[in-house]
Amino acid sequence: MYEIYHPPFTTELTDFEDTVITVEKQGSDLVYKRTFQGKEETELVLLNNDGNILINPIEPVNLPRKLTSFLLVEFKRPALIRPGDRKKIYLTFPVEIGVFVTDKAGNHEVIDIFTFSRVKFTLYGSHNHGLICRHWESDVYSTEPHTDLLHEGYIELEIINDSNHMMEVTKAVFNAYGMKIYYGDKRLGMKASMRIINKLLAETDFSTYPTTSRFKRSMELYTSRKLIINGTKGIMEFGL
Amino acid sequence: MSNSTIISQYIPSLSDPFLQIITVILILFFTILIGKGITIYLQRSLKDKMDKEHLNILLKTIYYGLIVVAIIGIIFPLLNIDTSGLLVAGGVVGIVLGFASQSIVGNFISGIFLMIERPVKIGDQVNIDNKLGYVEDIKIISTIIRTYDGLYIRLPNETVFTTSITNYVANLTRRFEYVVGIRYEDDADKAIKIIKGLIDDQPYALVNPSPSVFVDNLGDNAVNIIVRVWAPATEWYDMKTKLLWIIKKTLEKNGIEIAFPQRTVWFASELNTKRIDTEHENNVSIRGTDEV
Repeated sequence: MYEIYHPPFTTELTDFEDTVITVEKQGSDLVYKRTFQGKEETELVLLNNDGNILINPIEPVNLPRKLTSFLLVEFKRPALIRPGDRKKIYLTFPVEIGVFVTDKAGNHEVIDIFTFSRVKFTLYGSHNHGLICRHWESDVYSTEPHTDLLHEGYIELEIINDSNHMMEVTKAVFNAYGMKIYYGDKRLGMKASMRIINKLLAETDFSTYPTTSRFKRSMELYTSRKLIINGTKGIMEFGL
Repeated sequence: MSNSTIISQYIPSLSDPFLQIITVILILFFTILIGKGITIYLQRSLKDKMDKEHLNILLKTIYYGLIVVAIIGIIFPLLNIDTSGLLVAGGVVGIVLGFASQSIVGNFISGIFLMIERPVKIGDQVNIDNKLGYVEDIKIISTIIRTYDGLYIRLPNETVFTTSITNYVANLTRRFEYVVGIRYEDDADKAIKIIKGLIDDQPYALVNPSPSVFVDNLGDNAVNIIVRVWAPATEWYDMKTKLLWIIKKTLEKNGIEIAFPQRTVWFASELNTKRIDTEHENNVSIRGTDEV
């Protein structure tokens, strides 16, 4: 499913979704096609290309178009944490799938992005100084949740309460620039932390280590696009 | 003691006409040389700090200013030309220029304040002095607007600064509203549920602030349902233009129709009516014709 493909190939991502990706050779060119229930969704010609195609999960903030780099995970049930405590919880996050083309030098370029998850946006903070975030609602789990790797992944979130008060956490805001997604055959996940400073302020960040050592690291979209990154942390300054 | 006399003390006037011409040419030559040198130096050092247009104005002002100073300050005393008259003339010209350039100075100062306050940025969608469009450029004297129908409008910065400005994209979010009037015999609860579902399917309809759908009033001809949706300011217009027609089609698909003005007339006494069959009109029957 998430792997490197050598053209020409055809892969059916799910029986249920009926999404089929086909890459055909036409002389020295490649023709990439993605169909949903037999209807063509995307088609493009990769001119003079003999590279491989990589399909893997990417940071879930790109669809329908790049509007924000923040993901807000809203907890279905609030989580309480004691002052000075450190607790690990699990959340789910939506999956977006990126299709990359590689060249002989090992460079990657994204050619298609799609998702099977619901896409919604929300406002975090005030109308003039807040953030528009991709919205996702998740239950709070104490162990790794079972997720369908085409739809959802899980975040292993370590909450550190550095304040002197009992804190109620209802949401977590993550910056996609720091996301490190790892995937296996059946699941995908990422490891993050949330440091609570006070009732209104917290800082989220991602770990560069996988949740499970067997997992492979997915291609980061922003790294592959060679964008200049200023900050990778998510600053939650409008409440928890 | 006049100014020229003071200067003449340091720069003796020349009596030989040939020497005068040579000296004037030499002074002009060196002034131009120094002027060029200064402008080249400034151009190099300010190239990245100022935009090309403003830098050109500054360089030209310095270059020609230097030449004027050299002519009035050095060449005139050398040629024994009394410049005291120029001071009076300069004063008068100064007053005239002051009046003439009043609006320019006003625009210039407004431009500086606009740049400090920044109520609009390049690319913003705005309404300034009833001119709607995109801000194309904010210059030191004027602001350029491209209207939605592609017109170029140059607004003096004084107007921009003193009039009310509506910036449509300054805030992250914007709300739009529809009034959906359904028939009295339709189920408003069902209609609200359908509309909420449609809004939920729209990615850019924000979860927070949440949308609101409710029966607002019982109108003359329809039950009026208000639909309020928040969207990111950049996606607001696309959503607004798309969603209403989707609501209309989906409601109709579910048997709920958009009401139109109609009036039911009740007569106090029953009307005597009869059915007339008209053969010559292709057997079309006309009902409800009053018998007088």
